[in-house]
Order: sequence, then C-alpha cells, then structure tokens
Amino acid sequence: MKMEDMSLSGLDNTKLEALAQDIYSDLVEDACLGLCFEVHRAVKQGYFFLDDTDQESMKDFEIVDQPGVDIFGQVYNQWKNKECVCPNCNRSIAASRFAPHLEKCLGMGRNSSRIANRRIASSNNMNNKSESDQEDNDDVNDNDWSYGSEKKAKKRKSDKNPNSPRRSKSVKHKNGEYNVTS
Amino acid sequence: FYWHCVQQHARFIERFGLKELLRAKLTECGWRDQLKAHCKDVIKEKGLEHVTVEDLVVEITPKGRVLVPDSVKKELLQRIRAFLAQHAT
Repeated sequence: MKMEDMSLSGLDNTKLEALAQDIYSDLVEDACLGLCFEVHRAVKQGYFFLDDTDQESMKDFEIVDQPGVDIFGQVYNQWKNKECVCPNCNRSIAASRFAPHLEKCLGMGRNSSRIANRRIASSNNMNNKSESDQEDNDDVNDNDWSYGSEKKAKKRKSDKNPNSPRRSKSVKHKNGEYNVTS
Repeated sequence: FYWHCVQQHARFIERFGLKELLRAKLTECGWRDQLKAHCKDVIKEKGLEHVTVEDLVVEITPKGRVLVPDSVKKELLQRIRAFLAQHAT
C-alpha cells in the first residue's frame, strides 16, 4: 500500500495538525515504553546499578595490560605442567597426559580396549605385572596424541576392535594367545 | 478514515527514521538519564525483586512526556508535518 494511494488532501489543516500531534505522541510514548522495558530488563538481569560502583572497586575490574598475563590478570600457561589426580586410580598425572591416561584407566576410548586385552593376555602368563610395564603400554599408545605418528595411527586403524559388535566370528589378531570372551 | 491514516502513518514512520531520530535526540539532551534516575527511585520504592514493568510504565511515562524539551518537540513536529505534506496528493 503506497503512501500516494492515500489522499490526505481530503483532510483540512486542523485535521492534519491533529494527526501530526498524534504521531508525535505515539513516538514519545514509544520512547518511554522502550526505556521502561530496558530498565526493567536491566533490573531483573542484575546490571542496572552497575554504574554506581564506587571508584575503589572499579579498579578491581580494570583491564590488565601486562606481558605473560591475560586481560583479567590470569597467567595463561598455568595449567600446562600442573598435576591432576586421577579419580579412578588415584595416581598423580601430568595435565598433558591426563586425557590419554583417563582413556586407559576408565576403559573407554579408541585404544583402551586393545591395551586391556593385551594386558589380560600377558597377565594370563605372568602374574607379576609391574607398574613400569603399564607405563610402557601407555606411552606407546600416546603416540596417537602427538603429531609425528600418523603411520602408526593408520596401522592401528586397520586393526579391528575385537569388542565391537561388527566383528565377524573369525577375528585376526596379532596376539596368538588372545582368547575371545564377550 | 482519520484513524486509518494514523495507523498507516505509524507503519511508515519507521521507514523515515522518526523513531530513531527522536531517541537519539532524547539521549543527547539528557532526557534518558533524567528518567533513569527517576526509575531508580521507583525501584528503591517498590524493591528490586518486586518491581514490574507496569510499575515503571505507570510512574515513568507521564513524566517522560512532560520532560521532552521544547526544542526536540518542535523539531519533531516539523519533520512530521513535512512528512505528511510530502504525501498529501
């Protein structure tokens, strides 16, 4: 509907003026309502009185501009070499090794079943499995997590996961001693 | 027919930026800050937890209408009249 379609010439000046006043009123009312809604939202969301913070407290929130530190003042390399305690085995693990460790420890993830199965196989023969052996296995499979080991990773992918529902009855596996139990 | 015109014009007001113009002017002249201060009073009176949109609208709108500076009102009316004149065939 174009403006031109409406004939305003039918309205005399007083009516036009009244129209103008009405439009003006509408606009002011709209501005007032807008403000009310904004204020109400600010109140309910908790940021309405933010401007009233005293100067002293405001200093706590100034942007930090120092080297080695982010704008909040936190050191951002902090977690690189932290140690975490595994909730499962209660060992202290370095942060960068924590994810792969959890994978093995909890028995989830891509490679963990293979390791577990290997351990079961070898512990069937030898009962004195030492901690260091576990470490070795862990380290060997940590290759998946670093960049330089794509060859090994690809090799592993071709191994079928013996516990997956897709496996066929005759499973080819490297360890001859492996017993299939589901 | 008269009210029909008002409605039609309301729809075209946005296209011509009258809303934005008014809001900009009102912020510029401190009207917004004045009313905000008044809002604080209402909030303190009704309580931060309990204040409703209704409370604010009822208290603020009448004051808001009155507080618009004459210069702003004048300019806006001028623009509206010009706008209407433009489209009178």
